[in-house]
Amino acid sequence: MTAPLYSPGDSLLHRAPASAKLAGLVVLGTAVFLTADLALLLPAALAGVLLLAIVRPPRARLTRQLAGSAILIGLVALIAGLSQGWHQAAVVALRFSAIVLAALAVTLSTRAADMLEAIEALLAPLDRRGLVDSARIALAVSLVLRFVPDILGHYREIREAQAARGLDANPLALIVPLVVRTLKDADDIAAAIEARGFPPDRPGR
Amino acid sequence: MRHPDPSTSADNAAVVTVELDRAGVVIDGRTIIAPTTLTLKERRIGVIGANGSGKSTFARLLNGLVVPTTGAVRIDGLDTAREAAKIRRSVGFVFQNPDNQIVFPIIAEDMAFGLKNSGLAKVEIPTRVTAELARLGIAHLVERASHSLSGGEKQLAALAAVLVMRPKLVVFDEPTTLLDLKNRNRIRAVIDALAASALVVTHDLDLVERFDRVLVIEDGRIAADDTPRAAIAWYRERAAA
Repeated sequence: MTAPLYSPGDSLLHRAPASAKLAGLVVLGTAVFLTADLALLLPAALAGVLLLAIVRPPRARLTRQLAGSAILIGLVALIAGLSQGWHQAAVVALRFSAIVLAALAVTLSTRAADMLEAIEALLAPLDRRGLVDSARIALAVSLVLRFVPDILGHYREIREAQAARGLDANPLALIVPLVVRTLKDADDIAAAIEARGFPPDRPGR
Repeated sequence: MRHPDPSTSADNAAVVTVELDRAGVVIDGRTIIAPTTLTLKERRIGVIGANGSGKSTFARLLNGLVVPTTGAVRIDGLDTAREAAKIRRSVGFVFQNPDNQIVFPIIAEDMAFGLKNSGLAKVEIPTRVTAELARLGIAHLVERASHSLSGGEKQLAALAAVLVMRPKLVVFDEPTTLLDLKNRNRIRAVIDALAASALVVTHDLDLVERFDRVLVIEDGRIAADDTPRAAIAWYRERAAA
């Protein structure tokens, strides 16, 4: 088991209710896709930086978590720039940066159980109408966050094991064992969740 | 083949009756557990056997994680195939690898998960969590992230998450396999002191030598069912053959 995304702390964002943080993230995510005005997108991305500064996660962890996103955003922006012009590239880069930075600030400052409760609360109106099962969706989202560091940990272990046997980095040779291990873990976690009484009994369901 | 009288157990208050009624498991045409009829009432039951003999599947039958493909398994009269949710409130399960048992990253929130599923009032959850951790002597772990714990601490935390549900029977699937000697002794002491009944699947023969009854599983069948001394001796002889 590797370090979770959550980073303990006592910042303003840590103390804010998880539901407010999630709602804010939804509003921000929607808003940045409703505009292509750089004068609005730039402050949105800077707001993401500000949020991360408030959370103040350990620098090494932040660097590690941002590196992958930065490469991905750079690639998407490059493709947008080459196909639709550099203004569009800036729009895409700022949009995704705003969302990624804000989402990272939220995951770093929110405990998994609080996230689960907040998602359940946000979906409760739909649940009452029988449209969704809020407990299952909330648990699924929490498990995604739980699995991300585990998958990265498995990746490192498999890569090390292969390097120890003198194998070069080969995407197929990495992906196959990684998928197999992740599915095995998913099976084990599913059994553990089931063994602990999930889903809870609910009258009328 | 014989088994000891359960009335010799120290305390029958938490005794659970497990009945296998021609219960068998066949997966993809392969017999994992042959049809077995058995009643277990002892407070401490050990299950030993070689790798791949069907021990873990046998354990998983007891709280409905695996349902029999033939026959039935009943816990205090409840059928695991039909009333698994109810059974899981009284039968806890401790997995071999705590990393795969601990669902949430912080110990307190992981322990709260089962309690929340059981419908316990939210205000009562922290008290129950703290009390259980204190009872196991690991109160200091309450706000710790599970990834930062040692193997022994993780196994104790995983066990705490099961015990906090106050089960009547705890099923352990090789609880000491990944542990060093010191932590193995710690888990052993916890099992010895449990008020609940315990069924322990293990390769650690010392762990079950003071139990009430030991089953030896071989190729999906109960090959021996006896006192620990006799069952372990039988198993050692088979392994040496």
